Amino acid sequence: MKALAALAGAAFTVAACYALGAVIVARLGARLRRDEKFPLAFVVGAAVLHLAIFAVMALGFAYKPVLIGMLTACVGAACATGDWRLPVRQQSSREDLLYRAIRYLFGIIAAAFTVLYLFNAWAPEISPDGSSYHLGLVARYLRARGFERVTTNMLFSFSEGVEMLYVPAFAIGRHSAAALVHFAFLLSLALAVLAYGKRIGKPLAGAAAALLVYLSPIVGIDGTSAYTDVAAAAIVFAVFYWIQLWDENRNNRILIAAGLLAGYCYAAKYTAFVMIVYAVGLVAWRTRKWQPVGLLVGCSLIMAAPWAVKDWIYLHNPVAPFANQWFPNPYLYVLVEKLWTARMRTYGLKNLWTLPLEVTIHGETTQGLLGPVFLAAPLALLALRSRAGRILLIPGALVFITYVGNIGTRFLIPSLPFLSLAMALALEGVAPLLALLVVFHAVSSWPTVLMRYTNAWSLHEIPYKAALRILPEEQFLGAHTEYQWARMVEKNVPPGKLVFTLSGLPDAYTTREVLITYWGGLNNDIGDALTMGWSKPWQPVKLLSFILPDAKYRRLRVVQTGVATFPEEQWNVHEIRLFHGGAELPRRPAWRLQAFPDPWGVQRAFDNSEATRWRSWETLRPGMWIAVDLGREEDVDRVQVELSGDEWDARMRLETTDAGNRWIPLTVATEERHVPPSGSLRRAATYEAHLRGVDYFLIKDDDYGAGDYAEFTRDWGLTLLEHAYGASVYRVNPDAMNPAQVIP
Amino acid sequence: MCGVLCGCSNLPEPYAPPMQRPFFEASPVARLLDMADADAESHFVQDISAELEANTWRWTGKRPTISLRSGSKDEPAYSIDFAIAGTTFEQTGPVTLSFFVNDHLLDRVRYAAPGPQRFRKPVPAEWLQPDENVTLAAEIDKLWTPPQPGGKPLGFILVKLGLESKNPEPK
Repeated sequence: MKALAALAGAAFTVAACYALGAVIVARLGARLRRDEKFPLAFVVGAAVLHLAIFAVMALGFAYKPVLIGMLTACVGAACATGDWRLPVRQQSSREDLLYRAIRYLFGIIAAAFTVLYLFNAWAPEISPDGSSYHLGLVARYLRARGFERVTTNMLFSFSEGVEMLYVPAFAIGRHSAAALVHFAFLLSLALAVLAYGKRIGKPLAGAAAALLVYLSPIVGIDGTSAYTDVAAAAIVFAVFYWIQLWDENRNNRILIAAGLLAGYCYAAKYTAFVMIVYAVGLVAWRTRKWQPVGLLVGCSLIMAAPWAVKDWIYLHNPVAPFANQWFPNPYLYVLVEKLWTARMRTYGLKNLWTLPLEVTIHGETTQGLLGPVFLAAPLALLALRSRAGRILLIPGALVFITYVGNIGTRFLIPSLPFLSLAMALALEGVAPLLALLVVFHAVSSWPTVLMRYTNAWSLHEIPYKAALRILPEEQFLGAHTEYQWARMVEKNVPPGKLVFTLSGLPDAYTTREVLITYWGGLNNDIGDALTMGWSKPWQPVKLLSFILPDAKYRRLRVVQTGVATFPEEQWNVHEIRLFHGGAELPRRPAWRLQAFPDPWGVQRAFDNSEATRWRSWETLRPGMWIAVDLGREEDVDRVQVELSGDEWDARMRLETTDAGNRWIPLTVATEERHVPPSGSLRRAATYEAHLRGVDYFLIKDDDYGAGDYAEFTRDWGLTLLEHAYGASVYRVNPDAMNPAQVIP
Repeated sequence: MCGVLCGCSNLPEPYAPPMQRPFFEASPVARLLDMADADAESHFVQDISAELEANTWRWTGKRPTISLRSGSKDEPAYSIDFAIAGTTFEQTGPVTLSFFVNDHLLDRVRYAAPGPQRFRKPVPAEWLQPDENVTLAAEIDKLWTPPQPGGKPLGFILVKLGLESKNPEPK
């Protein structure tokens, strides 16, 4: 039953996309051939349907009957208007024997891989990103009947244009229905490349290029998981295709489809936004008129703008999780973004010259491989001899440029159709060689062969028993440790409670909200406090005192003047305390605190906790400051700044304001002492998590600090609920959060 | 559009001081390992049964040993809750237990009757390093031998073993 539901959910969603696209395409006056209609109409329909689902989600009406009603309306409309039907088959010219043999060979290869892909997509979904955030957000939105403001998982702030199509599929057929929808995009991409080859009079090149894309191991695993890269590639190629159709007959109504799809590129994946640039640039160049460009831009904005507005409303950043320096917000720290994006640019590869071999043969570091055949990619340059080849150059190059921002192999998928077509066009005149290339690609991409030379992320088998649920879903998924972690959370954490983890788990298989330490400002704050509980270098051990002339002050400001040695280095201030005559000034409610950067975190430097600290969350640099306005003139003779042990390069000066409210440096003496923390940092750290509503933790045995939680569970104020599958679930012990309670 | 939205940045007004956090006294104890603790087995070094009986205790062999991190700044006490089973006592008669900390003999006690027991004694500070692993053991001089051949010899019933504060009262 689950197998049928998955298939039905996907089939219904795909049918609705095609139907809606067919209705729109008919009204645009586009004359598509039989082989073009499915791939091009499907993607246009997907774009428009995604927007309709966005609207339903924004209104909070995402009930299953509403979603099914939408899909039914799309299919019904196409049936009623007759737009569902494919155009009549055209008489094909006679093929010679060699071409016919190659066609059959290609057909057999395509069929074999289709079986492999279908069963993998149909099997229960457990891909890393698919079962965590792509479907995690779908499941969460469906529970909430619409969008929710999520500030604790920045992965939810990416545009979710493809995930919107997973919503109805998931509502009907759960997780693998979404993966099957993605598989439909993979089929559509291959069919579009095939059809394009025919349109430009190069059917063999089109077929070979379609297979070069289709058989690629990274395309296979990604396109059969609930990811979005292959869908993005299909949308990117469809933009190119529609622009070429427009260029053939200059029917400006076709620009509506191209514009909607260019905007949908952004909605599907930020990096695909370059297709808006491509489409606008090409139409402007060809027409030199504002009207068609305006139409294109307007249609693009219809698709892209809702996602920017959503992020702006929810997170104060229209391009979250990026550009946090330009759009300051407390939800994702600038340094976290910076370190994360820096990591994405290298994946830890020390020598980027190894990248060609890495993404074609090894694939273990960049999480997947294109296949060894793409070592022959330079052949694509030969295609520049023909106009058909040169046309591919600009969109291919534009999409490829974005790859430098994330060198994961799957980020090459959108440029793959252009590259494959160019390679195939270059060899089109030598048909046997082209056929040989495809056969080599097929053999080297088949799982049993693939596993002989790489352990990269790829398909391993045809899991027909799991797909048909002959092997029960629970049993199939249960063999995956990460799935068991999700079930442990579901079992031990009550509904509505937050659970904190130091690394991810498949959110899509738990209904509890999971806070991963690095995916949000709040998460970072909790993670920072917890790390202080066990990591000595992070603890407050340095006391820097400014001895001031005994006088009255209203405003005081500590300004950082040091320069970082490492990009990861921050300015960390645990507490700032003011004294007079040896006694600390009580922190009155009238005080006003400010900091730069991260103004939102300034209270952590004035909360009297050893387990919290204000952090700059930007690389240490001169000009950072923390200021306190006492609300009135008060006697102060010492300002004490408490710093972490890992504070190497921070240097500080003290300032006050003059009569004109300008900040001026104070001439002060300084003294530095090292004093170990006096209280239980472990319990103070747990208290901070507890204050922020987090009473449950999932700690994996190989997480940093895991041994300390296990060894000193009671000292942390925690109770171990379960230890299994290499992970522990802890609960905050409420009694331990009472400071009067001494842990026995 | 980004430029327009950038102009609407959302920097907060200055904050008042937050709620002042309470001071949490550092825990005076390292750890007393309960045999029912979910992670108990991860601390076993030798001679403690993997089977948890009645959700509270485990059979031991000759020299049950566990490993913990001392963690405490205070001078802790060795602490063990155990029982001499009536059945085993019938065969062994009075037994002597020797208690060890990092292989240093802490004490030796003779038990002339079956039943629940508790032994507790401060550990000399020089035997422990803060935040270092410490091994705790209790060795019984006579094992119970099962009547049937091939059966496993048994020592005593272990309930808790670990370190406690020398001064259990709150500071």
